Amino acid sequence: MEQVLFRHNRPGRVVTFKEYCDEGGFNALRKAISEMTPNEVQQAVIDSGLRGRGGAGFSTGRKWSFVPRDLPGPRWLICNCDEMEPGTYKDRVLLEHNPYSLIEGVTLACYALGVRHAFIFIRRGYEKAANNLAQGLIEAKEAGLLGKRILASEFSVDIDLHLSAGRYICGEETALINALEGKRPNPRSKPPFPATKGLWGGPTVVNNVETLANVPAIIAKGPGWFKGLARNAEGAGMKLFCVSGAVKNRVCVELPTGTTLREIIDGPCGGMKPGTKFKACIPGGASTQFLTPEHLDVPMDYDTVAKVGSRLGSGAIIVFEEGCCLVAATLNLITFFARESCGWCTPCREGLPFVKEVLTRIEAGAGEERDIEILREHVKYLNYTFCALAPGAMAPLDGLLRHFEAELREHIVQRKCPFK
Amino acid sequence: MPKLIIDNLPVEVAPGTTVLEAARSVGITIPHFCYHPALALASACRLCAVKMLDGPVKGIQMSCSLPAQDGMVVSTTDPEALKMRALVIEWLMINHPHDCPVCDEGGECLLQDFTIAGGHSRRRYQGDKRTHRNQYLGEHIYHEMNRCIQCYRCVRFYQDYAGGTDFGVTGSAGRVYFGRFEDGPLESPFSGNLVDICPTGVFTDKTGRFRARYWDYQFAPSVCQHCSVGCNLAPQVFQREVIKIVGRRNDQVNSWFICDRARFDKKGINDPSRPRAPRVDGEATDYEAALDALAARIYDFVEVHGPESLAFVGSSRLSLEGCLMLGELVANFDAASLSFYGDPAEAKGSQLATELLSGENVAAPADLASADCIVLLSVDLMNEGPMLAPFIRKAWLGGTKVYRIADPALLSGQQLPFDCIEAATLAEVPLEQASRAIVVCHATRTPREELSDVAATGARLAMLQPGPNGFGAALVAREHGARPFDELLAARKVRGIVAFESDLPVANLKGITVLGCADWQATELSQKAGVFLPTTTWMESTGTSINFEGRAQRFERAFRPGYPLKGLDAKYYAQSRYGEPAPGQPKTPPPQPPRIPRGEIPGGQEIEAWKAMARLLEKLGGELIVEPLTGSWQPLRDIDPEAGGERIFSLFKSSEPDTL
Ligand SMILES: Cc1cc2nc3c(=O)[nH]c(=O)nc-3n(C[C@H](O)[C@H](O)[C@H](O)COP(=O)(O)O)c2cc1C
Ligand code: SF4
Ligand code: SF4
Ligand code: SF4
Ligand code: FES
Repeated sequence: MEQVLFRHNRPGRVVTFKEYCDEGGFNALRKAISEMTPNEVQQAVIDSGLRGRGGAGFSTGRKWSFVPRDLPGPRWLICNCDEMEPGTYKDRVLLEHNPYSLIEGVTLACYALGVRHAFIFIRRGYEKAANNLAQGLIEAKEAGLLGKRILASEFSVDIDLHLSAGRYICGEETALINALEGKRPNPRSKPPFPATKGLWGGPTVVNNVETLANVPAIIAKGPGWFKGLARNAEGAGMKLFCVSGAVKNRVCVELPTGTTLREIIDGPCGGMKPGTKFKACIPGGASTQFLTPEHLDVPMDYDTVAKVGSRLGSGAIIVFEEGCCLVAATLNLITFFARESCGWCTPCREGLPFVKEVLTRIEAGAGEERDIEILREHVKYLNYTFCALAPGAMAPLDGLLRHFEAELREHIVQRKCPFK
Repeated sequence: MPKLIIDNLPVEVAPGTTVLEAARSVGITIPHFCYHPALALASACRLCAVKMLDGPVKGIQMSCSLPAQDGMVVSTTDPEALKMRALVIEWLMINHPHDCPVCDEGGECLLQDFTIAGGHSRRRYQGDKRTHRNQYLGEHIYHEMNRCIQCYRCVRFYQDYAGGTDFGVTGSAGRVYFGRFEDGPLESPFSGNLVDICPTGVFTDKTGRFRARYWDYQFAPSVCQHCSVGCNLAPQVFQREVIKIVGRRNDQVNSWFICDRARFDKKGINDPSRPRAPRVDGEATDYEAALDALAARIYDFVEVHGPESLAFVGSSRLSLEGCLMLGELVANFDAASLSFYGDPAEAKGSQLATELLSGENVAAPADLASADCIVLLSVDLMNEGPMLAPFIRKAWLGGTKVYRIADPALLSGQQLPFDCIEAATLAEVPLEQASRAIVVCHATRTPREELSDVAATGARLAMLQPGPNGFGAALVAREHGARPFDELLAARKVRGIVAFESDLPVANLKGITVLGCADWQATELSQKAGVFLPTTTWMESTGTSINFEGRAQRFERAFRPGYPLKGLDAKYYAQSRYGEPAPGQPKTPPPQPPRIPRGEIPGGQEIEAWKAMARLLEKLGGELIVEPLTGSWQPLRDIDPEAGGERIFSLFKSSEPDTL
């Protein structure tokens, strides 16, 4: 199958600069600088249908188009490599094999946006990826592909690698901006959106690693080609899926957008773990709703997954087998979110520990009927928080109540976990 | 002007007004914790939820951060909004102690109010409460972190508004902590405002903890008399003891805040050694007898030495009423002298201010916030006008440059909450390039020529005065031809003085008889006086003072004077909260005063200084004056103490300010 992001990958090691270049790397940059205006690059990205791979799935080219070009002062681009959502590890795999697509993608985005200085914000634990990037940045610079007067053109750009202390909330784009400014990583209120007022008050685009790494191929081979890669008509491009849980092979694979869950599990994952049966999965990282066996044939794309009450999110699929307690699984995720709340707003800071307390009790056999009402209230009212962390945190609970309320009740009725 | 409907009421507000403020303008209070009009928006507590029924946004929204827009239909009572607010309270109460009866905030606690209003009463959370360690924050503020509801008001005030750096927020999730990196006294000279701004009992006033409840207090709108800025405040008095002092809003002068001196310095008022009884030659007597004695002595003195040997001395801490009455007293004698200032520099400077300043060229404290160039010209800002600093900081944060022409003698070492560009002279400051420049200076220290240079550039002046009513005293001095006391001394004519709330140094008074002295402080002068008349402090007085910008402000009597009903608390007395007992005062607090059923208040003979003067004048054969604000001063009688005060320049249209 055609690979875009993984095209240059070598088993067990990182691709070298030379190998990447020999395989057509940086040709997109050359093409853009010599043949295309920044606007044409942006238009190509709009036309390609590329949507943000950080989770929200917003059209990347359109996001770029919101950046005002007539304001005085610098504009900024930030690549978001915080990747701390449980289940999500695609950006790490991508960068551990190939930092160059990202570097080229960031440079292209800077070209399109008129950005002079970009940042790659990477979480502390990603040492290998960070080393690859650091090395790649040096190589690109030495080759005249980065820094002043790139490829002898008027276009210059610097990329800084920022190793963050790392918290889940640092992945939220405005909290990330605060962190980069050296402040507490509390999110900022929107509006104003970063596109108009972001880093140090300047227009700022924040994009995910996978999003930006797709850009070179779009420029090199055209938006039409990219859009055509998808399996479904509305889809565009390839998508990284990183699978964990009860499958035989836990892999990170690049597949066309619109591939079904069943194909992913049965194909590259080699099916379920021997002797187990699919019970449910989380399709797009910890902040998405459970899907059930009836959803196995849903094409994995933003709108199609949204239609069945979940989200494609980051494409991190966590698979649960029959006999696995989803109350415990939800509790596990909520524990993570409660810990990672930034503590700014009341519903998230206090509500998540409340949910955790209730779920802990239910799982321990001390649940009460009224607890279900409490959980429902939280699913509804944690939507009204300052940022998207809390609504995301409620997604698995929402899925639990929607598809597995009987299992939850069983805990309360039996006064114990039915799976133990 | 956006038009919207809130709870079926049509509302029209200025663009930029939030839904919460719009609701407030028609008398609907939407519960809120993190919202504070003086602070940047946080939208953190989520208590101010309302439901938008129609218009550009729909559903549950936070009213504190939602700008009012045309066509909005808002419900503050929709069941969903009520549920959201009830949940916010329930969430906050998960970790909040349930011990209001032993919390000093009880009765003045926003959390209490909105918990009751929100209807949360049954606990559903079954886990433990999170607890924190408290910190020692110095002798003024007590810290009880368990009571925190994480509204972030304190940091937004302390760091953003006041520019403090030693206090902030640490931690995340349920462990967010508001404090210092380590125990220690808060460094900001505005730290006391944490007490007012925290909606719960995390920060309480250590100098007045557990002395009384909010509903016990006597309150009155008052004006700080520590410096010439004239910040608005309200003493909280219980049984004739000032327990706490809180800030009072005046958008032009002090916004919502006061400095720590205004809040915590209650020494003069509660001072156990404060002279309470009239004295004649050291012997306590009653007021009438003391006034009789003083009148007789003045009469004899004038008979013997002639009126030209007599001087009446006031000060810049005397109220406007007192200053005017002093003028009347002097007028009663043909050739007696009047003096408000000892030092000619002070006298001249204050005088200069009354001559130069007009409604057009004077700057109010709040004007500093929108200035585009600020100069600190030989002022010790943090001592002479500390509440100007936050406004200057605001301008500075917005990019305004602040220049300082420092007088090395005045560098108190206190950090300013903004950066300054040092300049040697005014000529180095690009004042001409600014359109809203303000020069902050001090009346006693700024030569006329320099001020002319400033005025030529169109910059406005914030000219601080040597005392809280310095401007008022100078106006009266001008009206009545007062002279600096040093000049009177040099002329060698004066042989006897009568002083009212004056701080003349006694060392200067060789060969001069202090016939009488009226004061509420035990000054050296009062020890030397033949007749002593105790007066009330400003908190026990109704009166007027004029701040540095010519703003007349009325303060009202908060309580009747007299010994505190309970005596002074041994604990606080011992800790010298009121200062070391004066020589001759007991080391243990004075006991509870005797109670005389329906009698007079023990130790309560003090009267306002101007009233003492009026009675003295009557005894000297003058007319009884019951209202000192007459003639051109008459309009000041109607000043509403809660309406922000009034600039006095319009009162004196006849005497045009000098051209520079
Ligand atoms: C709590 C939270 C955590 C997030 N973490 C990440 C992250 O680790 N990586 C990421 O790319 N986006 C993350 N996002 C999404 C970003 O806010 C932002 O939408 C994204 O980086 C935009 O990039 P994209 O348009 O390329 O998807 C997070 C969002 C939230 C609310
Ligand atoms: S929902 Fe609120 S507390 Fe939670 S991470 Fe966002 S801003 Fe912080
Ligand atoms: S802070 Fe308020 S609610 Fe909390 S204990 Fe004190 S009085 Fe009660
Ligand atoms: S200490 Fe007080 S002001 Fe500060 S966050 Fe807590 S409740 Fe708010
Ligand atoms: S008052 Fe609106 S969120 Fe706190």
